[in-house]
Amino acid sequence: MTSLLQVRELTKTYPSKENFLAVDHISFDLKKGEILGFLGPNGSGKTTTIQMLLGTLLKTSGSIHYFGKDFSLHREEILQSIAFASTYLSLPYILTVQENLEVLGLLYGLSRKESRKRFEPLLERFNILSYLNQRVSALSAGQLTRLMMAKAFFIEPKIVLLDEPTASLDPDISQDICSFLLEQRDKTGLSILFTSHKMEEVAEVCDRVIFLDRGKIIADDLPENLAKKSSCFRLKLIIVDHLEKTIALATKKHLNYTSDHRSIEIELEEQDIPDFLHTLSLEGIVYTGIHIQEPSLDDYFLKIARGTR
Amino acid sequence: MSWSRIRAVFFRYLYVLLKGPQQLSDLFYWPLIDILLWGLTSVWIATTHIEANLPLILMTGLIFWQITWRGSVDISISLLNEFWHRNLVNLFSTPLKMSEWGLGVILLCLCKLCITVAFGVLAVYLLYSLNVFAIGVAFLPLAAMLLCFGWVLGFLAASLIIYWGHQVESIAWMIGYLFAPFSAVFYPVSVLPEWAQNISWCLPTTYIFEGMRLLLKQEAFPMHYFWISLGLNILYLSLSISIFHYAFRKSREKGLARLE
Repeated sequence: MTSLLQVRELTKTYPSKENFLAVDHISFDLKKGEILGFLGPNGSGKTTTIQMLLGTLLKTSGSIHYFGKDFSLHREEILQSIAFASTYLSLPYILTVQENLEVLGLLYGLSRKESRKRFEPLLERFNILSYLNQRVSALSAGQLTRLMMAKAFFIEPKIVLLDEPTASLDPDISQDICSFLLEQRDKTGLSILFTSHKMEEVAEVCDRVIFLDRGKIIADDLPENLAKKSSCFRLKLIIVDHLEKTIALATKKHLNYTSDHRSIEIELEEQDIPDFLHTLSLEGIVYTGIHIQEPSLDDYFLKIARGTR
Repeated sequence: MSWSRIRAVFFRYLYVLLKGPQQLSDLFYWPLIDILLWGLTSVWIATTHIEANLPLILMTGLIFWQITWRGSVDISISLLNEFWHRNLVNLFSTPLKMSEWGLGVILLCLCKLCITVAFGVLAVYLLYSLNVFAIGVAFLPLAAMLLCFGWVLGFLAASLIIYWGHQVESIAWMIGYLFAPFSAVFYPVSVLPEWAQNISWCLPTTYIFEGMRLLLKQEAFPMHYFWISLGLNILYLSLSISIFHYAFRKSREKGLARLE
């Protein structure tokens, strides 16, 4: 696949914060038609990277090339094909939905008529067409997020950068946005760089995930492979008697666990599960319920985040 | 009534007031500007023989100063609007260039100015039967010079705002009036103390207001005043735009997202 975005040794240092290194020599590619997840704990450098990719934050060193062109030399030309949306930004709330989108269309060289032709189907897709002549201030958080999506996609970009587009949204709206992203990718072949804290969503939508921690890329892999890297199966047992004995056994085997008055949840590797259950049987410990949870991207995220703290 | 809740409200606004010198502008800056402007105007009126067309001179000064102030405020408030609507990153993540933003704002400023001046002139005519257009077609080039200096101040204020953000937003309103006492809007430069006269003659607006008063006294407008004003405006406008470009770049080094 062709690489639409090439980032090499990208670095950002804030001199005012005692040379705080926010992004530390990161390199990655975004391929045509790819949805790339950008994950990491708070302060890991995700938003800083996106801001540099948009040019609203200047890099300290490294290079950013879109479509084979140097971003610092061809900013306006490149941004013509890049769209951005973030939950943390808004639009002028005194203007109506239509006025806002028409202004944005003009910024991308679209006539107001052409803009309307493009954004009306998108607003309809997100069930907010009836708000066309309403001020943005009249929209709910969920409607505003969908409007931000329409704003990003109606200019028909080749690359979309999304900074936590589903943060603080109801699950149904988040799900709708994820479906929309997949729809758009399949329909137009555009590439998406996507940051989120919702791991299930990332696992569902992204083809590949880059994990950042303290400004560095610590993993670049498929979501399922990253989940496996956490090596963290969870064995939950409901035990009527001998809970203390089970706790003692887990402690003896140096396993992490949590327990309440009648159950225990133990973290262990997949291959150790049969052995542990066999030991329980030998010790005469009877469990009345068992649940094995496979490792998820959430586990990987928690592992990194705990390490960071 | 709860004394505790009243204290809560008191402290809520006191903490805002103590957040920086710009918050203290209401306490010191505006009273000082008013004292200077109207004090010096009173001194001039008291120490000179009463001009027959004094009301026209004052009204024309008032409307002409609106042109400078409008030009200044329109640029800085347009920028602040993007902060208030958390739209700055949205705007500058599009292909928009800073020069295009500036020209768009200036274009709207011109339209608004036509309306403001027309309204002011009409209001003065209806309320006081004074014709501010008494100076004739000279109005246009003189207004253009005042507007240019308004843009100079607007770009300077915008430079501070784009770098420091919300904490200096009151500069948008303050900067215009900082130069009003020195621009001899309502009184001649000779009323000012000598040190202030030196500052005054460095401002393009001073030449316009001095010339305007001569015109209103049916005297000829000294053309060299116009050319000096034009030269100073070109110099200051180039400088202020350069400072704005520099401040915008420095702000991008820190990230525009921090301003929202």
